[in-house]
Amino acid sequence: MTITRREFSASVLAAAAAGTMPGAARAAEGGKTIALMFDAFDSDFWITGNTILKAKAKENGWTTLETISNRDQNKQNDQVKAMVERKVDGIIFIPTDNNAAIPAIRTANAANIPIIFFNRPPAPNDNKYVAIQADNRKIMQTTVTILVDLARKQGGKYKACLLMGDLGDNNAVQRRDGALDILDKNKDLVEIVSRVATEWNADKTFAGLTNAIQANPDINMLISPSDSEDTIIEQVLKTAGKWHKTGEDGHVMFAGFDGDQNGYRLLSTKYMDVNGVQNLFYEVDLAYGAFKDIWAGKQPDKMLIDPGFAISQATLESKRDDMWGYHVWKEKNK
Amino acid sequence: MGGVLPASSGGALSRPMRLVRLVLFSDYLVLALTVLYVAALWFAVPEIISPTNLNDIFLQVLPLFVAAMGLMMVLLVAQIDLSATSIMAMSCVVGASIMTSQGGYLAGHALAPVAAVLAIVAIGLLIGVLNGVCTIVFDIPSFLVTLVTMMFFSGAAIWYTAAHTNSGSSIGALPSSFLAIGYGGIAGIPYAALITVGLAIIVHLMLTRTVFGRWVRAVGLNPSAAAISGVPVKRVVIGCFALSGLFAAFAAVIYTARLEAGTPILGQRILLDVIGAAVIGGVSLFGGKGSVIGVLIGVLFLSAVDNGLQLLGLSLSSVYAIKGGVILLAAVVDAIRHHLLARG
Amino acid sequence: MSDLLLKVAGLNKSFFGVQVLRDVGLELRRGTVLGLVGENGSGKSTTMNILGGVLTKDSGRVELAGEEVQPASSRDALALGIAFIHQELSLFPNLSVEENIFLDHFPKRGAGIPFIDRRRLRDQASKALELVDLKVSPTTPVMRLPQGERQLIEIAKALTRQARLIIFDEPTTSLTARETERLFEIIGRLRAQGISVIYISHILQDVMRLSDDIAVLRDGEVVGAGRREDFTVERLVTLMVGRSIDRLFPEREPSQGPGGAALSVRGLSQPGVVRDVSFELRRGEVLGVSGLMGSGRSELARILFGLDPYSEGEVRVAGERLPPLKPRLAMDRGVAFLTEDRRGEGLMMEASIADNIVLPSLVERSRGFIRWLDPAGLDQAARDMAERVRVNARAIDTAAARTLSGGNQQKVVIAKWLLRAPSIFILDEPTRGIDVGAKYEVYKIINTMVAGGAAILFISSEIEELIGMADRIMVMGRGEIRGFFERASFDRETLMSAALWQ
Repeated sequence: MTITRREFSASVLAAAAAGTMPGAARAAEGGKTIALMFDAFDSDFWITGNTILKAKAKENGWTTLETISNRDQNKQNDQVKAMVERKVDGIIFIPTDNNAAIPAIRTANAANIPIIFFNRPPAPNDNKYVAIQADNRKIMQTTVTILVDLARKQGGKYKACLLMGDLGDNNAVQRRDGALDILDKNKDLVEIVSRVATEWNADKTFAGLTNAIQANPDINMLISPSDSEDTIIEQVLKTAGKWHKTGEDGHVMFAGFDGDQNGYRLLSTKYMDVNGVQNLFYEVDLAYGAFKDIWAGKQPDKMLIDPGFAISQATLESKRDDMWGYHVWKEKNK
Repeated sequence: MGGVLPASSGGALSRPMRLVRLVLFSDYLVLALTVLYVAALWFAVPEIISPTNLNDIFLQVLPLFVAAMGLMMVLLVAQIDLSATSIMAMSCVVGASIMTSQGGYLAGHALAPVAAVLAIVAIGLLIGVLNGVCTIVFDIPSFLVTLVTMMFFSGAAIWYTAAHTNSGSSIGALPSSFLAIGYGGIAGIPYAALITVGLAIIVHLMLTRTVFGRWVRAVGLNPSAAAISGVPVKRVVIGCFALSGLFAAFAAVIYTARLEAGTPILGQRILLDVIGAAVIGGVSLFGGKGSVIGVLIGVLFLSAVDNGLQLLGLSLSSVYAIKGGVILLAAVVDAIRHHLLARG
Repeated sequence: MSDLLLKVAGLNKSFFGVQVLRDVGLELRRGTVLGLVGENGSGKSTTMNILGGVLTKDSGRVELAGEEVQPASSRDALALGIAFIHQELSLFPNLSVEENIFLDHFPKRGAGIPFIDRRRLRDQASKALELVDLKVSPTTPVMRLPQGERQLIEIAKALTRQARLIIFDEPTTSLTARETERLFEIIGRLRAQGISVIYISHILQDVMRLSDDIAVLRDGEVVGAGRREDFTVERLVTLMVGRSIDRLFPEREPSQGPGGAALSVRGLSQPGVVRDVSFELRRGEVLGVSGLMGSGRSELARILFGLDPYSEGEVRVAGERLPPLKPRLAMDRGVAFLTEDRRGEGLMMEASIADNIVLPSLVERSRGFIRWLDPAGLDQAARDMAERVRVNARAIDTAAARTLSGGNQQKVVIAKWLLRAPSIFILDEPTRGIDVGAKYEVYKIINTMVAGGAAILFISSEIEELIGMADRIMVMGRGEIRGFFERASFDRETLMSAALWQ
C-alpha cells in the first residue's frame, strides 16, 4: 500500500486546514457528510467502488470521510463510533464479518444515523439497516449457464476447476453455490475435478491452480469467482501451455466474475468466454437512493438487490456500457 | 517506579535545557506525548475530547491492556509470545460454539455462558503452557515456538469455525447474559472495566509483592544467576507463558462480548499493537524491566493515536503513514533517552 | 631526542562535581615498563582513559615525545601510537585472526578500491603474529582460541598500528600460568624494541617482577613513584591502602579447631570432568583447593552444589545424602556457592544491590501460599547485610549492581549468601579482580564465618592466598585429587609441583 508524498502532504495540510476552521466551515457547507467505511482494498472492485462512491457523492454535493479497517471487524466497530462522533449523516459500511458487524448497526441506530451495508449484508438481525447486495448466486447461475451452453455447442467432455475465494465471505459462498447449482445439473457434460479455496489471496490462488493443473493436466474449464484473480490465472495457464483463445485448439473454457477491466480485456481478446458482472453503478445508485429516502423520512426495503448480468463475447458490445470494468479499461487505454 | 534523573552533569545547563532533560528522562514521557498528541489533534477534531469519545477510547483500551499485560509477563523473562492473538481466536470460537443459540453444545442452558468462559480461559492456559514447555524443556527459541503455535491455532480456529457453521465465517447468536459483559455494568462501571482493573491489580501485586514476581525479574535479568540463587527458572518461564495465554483468553472474552460473535480472525491485526504497547510502555525486550502502569500508558498512547486518526477520517493511505510515524517517534525518543541515561 | 616518551603533569578530572583526579603526574621512559598500582577507585582507569582518548581531561598536560597531545577519541589515541588493551578484550570472536588485527585498516587492492587484498592481508597478519610468537593460522576464527592467545592477538593488533605505548589493564586475570609467562616474555621483547608499556595489575608480585618504574595512586593522587628497586610489596600495599597492613591476611581467631564433618564426598565421578574425588570438609575449617586452570575445581564445585550432574559416588551434607542436580535442596541444607564469574552468574547487574542480596532468601521470608513479601522487611535485611560486609554504596535499594567496583560487587555476592547463614560455603576465586583493601575485608568475613562454625571450601589460583587462609589444601589436577597438605607443610614449590605432576 504505497502513499505518494503528495498524498501525504496533502492530508497533513488537509488536517491543518480543517483545524483552522473548525465547525464553522463545515456547517456553512450545507451539504451532507457521509462516511465510507471499507475493510480492505484487495480487489479492483473495491478500488473502483471507492472511486464511484466518492464521485457520485460529490455530484450530490456531499462530503465524504473514509476509514479502512484492514479486515479487523473490531476495529471497524470502533471506527463507527468515531464516525458517530463526527456526526456524519450516513454510513456506507463494508464489513469483514457478517456476524461481528452487528454491534456496529446498534451504534449507528443509537445515534440515528442511517447505515447501509454495501455489497455484503450482515447476518440476519432485528436492528435497522439497509443492505445492498448483488444476487451473486443468480448472477453466477446465469454466467455458468451460458458457459455450459457454449461448451455443449462445442461438444466433447469437460473437466472443470472451480476456484472458490474466501469461504468466510458470504459473496464467495453464494458464487460457489450458484456455480454448483448449474454444474450439478450438467454432470453428463462437466466433471468437477478440482476445487480451490483461494481465500482471496494471490499466492494461494497461484499455488492452488498450479497444483490443480499438475494433478489434472486435462482441465479444460475454469470458473473463477473474481476477476481479481485473472492475471494470476493467465500466468498459470500460460506456464502450463493452456492459454489459448476461443476457437483455438486447447482453449480452456473460462468464466469470470466481477466485471473489472481485466474481465473486459480478456473477453475482448477472446481468452475469456463469459463474465458475471455486478452492476457497481447501479449498486451505488441504490445506496444513495436509500439515503435520500431515509433522510426524507421514508423507509426503504431492508434488502435492495442488484440483479447484475452476464456478458459474453457475443454480447460484448451491447452490454459493455453497464460493465464498470469496461470504463476503467477505457480510461486506461485512451 | 523511579523518579527523575538529576539534571546536573558536570556542566551548567540552561533552564530550558534542564526542563527538556527532566521531561525526557521521566518515566511518564509517553504519557506526556499522549497528552500532546490529543492536544494537537484537538484543533482539527475537537470531538476528540468529548465525553463520548473519551469513553470510546477507554473501552477500546480495556481488552488491549489485558492482552498487553499478559505479553508483558513473557517479555519480562526475555521471551516473546507471537501466538497471543491466535490464542484469542481459538479460545473464542470454542467458547462461542458452546453457548451459541444456533446449535451450540449448551445452547439455551442457563449456565452456558459460564461454561463458555471457563472453556475460553482453559484453552488460553493450555496453549500458554504448551508454548512454555516447548520453549524451555525442548530448548527451542520462543520466537519459533510461538510463531508455529500462532499459525497452527489460527488455522485450527478457522477450521473449527467452518466445521461448526455451514456457511459462516464466525459463530454468532450468543446469549445476552454473555453479551452483558461487553455492554453491561454495575453502578455505571462496565463489567469489562471491572475485569480489567481487577486483573491489573492482581498482576501489579504479584510483580511487586510476591516471590514469583521477583523470580520473574531475576530470570529476565540474568537466568544463570537466578538459577544459582535457587530460582526454579524452568517453572517460572512456563508460568509466564501460561499467564500470557490466560490473559489473551481474558481479552478474548471481552472482545467476543463486544463483537457478539466468536470469530477465528479475532485479534489478527492487533499483535503488533499488543507488543508495541508493551514496549512503548517501557517493558524491555531483553527482560527484567516492565510495570503494569507502564503498559497502561503504552496502551493509552496507541489507542489515542488510533482514535485520533479514525476521527480525522483521512484518505486511507495516510493513516498508516501517520500512525507508523508517531509510533516510530515514540520509539526513537525512548531510545535516545536510554542512550543518554547510560552515558550519565 | 629525550629518553622520555610520555610526560603527564597536573592532570585533573571531575565527574558530577566529584574530583577523581588531583594533580596527577607520570613519567615514562622509552623502552621501559611502568607499573601502575592502586585500589579500585584510585583513579588508575580514569588516567588511562584520558591517555587513551576515551575521556577528556579538565586540566593538565600530556606530552608524547615532547609534544602536547589531546586525543579526543580512541582513534586519535591509536593514531598517536597509544594502544590500550583492556581487561575485556575488544576482539570479535566470529571473525578470523587476520580480520581482527586489521579490522580498521584492511590492506586494499588499490587506492580508492573498496576491496580487501586478501593475500596481503594474509602476509601482513602472519608477520604480525610472528612478532608476538603466536603460532596459529591467520584464518582461525578467534572464538576457537583461548584467552591467552586472544590477548596476544590484541598485542599484535597494537603493533601493526606502530604503537609506541601499550597499556595493559589487568591482563593476567584470565590467563593460565603458562600464558602468563608467555605474556611476560613478550613484554620483555617489547621493551627491547623500544616500546613503552604501562602495566596495571592487582597482582603486586607480577608488578614487581616486570616493572622498571612504579607509580602508586590513591584517592586520585600519586602517593608514590620511583624506580622499582625503591619498593617492596609491603610498601606498595601500605601506599595503596594508606595504612600499614602488617599482614596481607588477617589473624584467625584461635578456635577449638575443626569439628565434625559438614560435607563428605566419596568416589565422586563424572566422565570427562572429575574422577574418584573423595574428601571431607569439617566444620570450622577452611579447605583450600589448588590447581591449575582446567584441573576441574570449578566443575567440582558446580557438581557439589547441584548445578551439574554426576554419575558415580555420593555427597553427604551433615550425614544425609544429597542427590544430584538439586541446587534448591543443597541451599536448604545450608550450602552456599560463590561462582567464579560474578558478572555472569553471581549478580543481576541491572538490579539494585538490595534485590541481589535478598534473591536466594525470598522463599524463606515469604508468607502463605501466595508467598507474600514484605518489601520494607526485605530492604532492612539487605541493608543490615550490606553493612556487615561493608559495601560502600549510598542507596542500596536503588543503585544498580553494575555501578559498583569489582570489590564491592563481590561483597554483595557474599552478602547475598551470608543472609542465609550457610553452614557450608563454596567459594570459587572469591578475590579475583578485586583490590587489596577489598580482599582484606573478604578474608575477614571468611574468618568470621569460620569462627562461627561454618565450613569453607576455598578454590583459588593464588597459592599465596591459600597458604595465608587455609587449614588444609587439596590439590587437584585433571579432574583428580593429587594430594592433601596440612598447614605445616604449606610450601609454594611443593604445591605447584603437585599440581603440575602429570
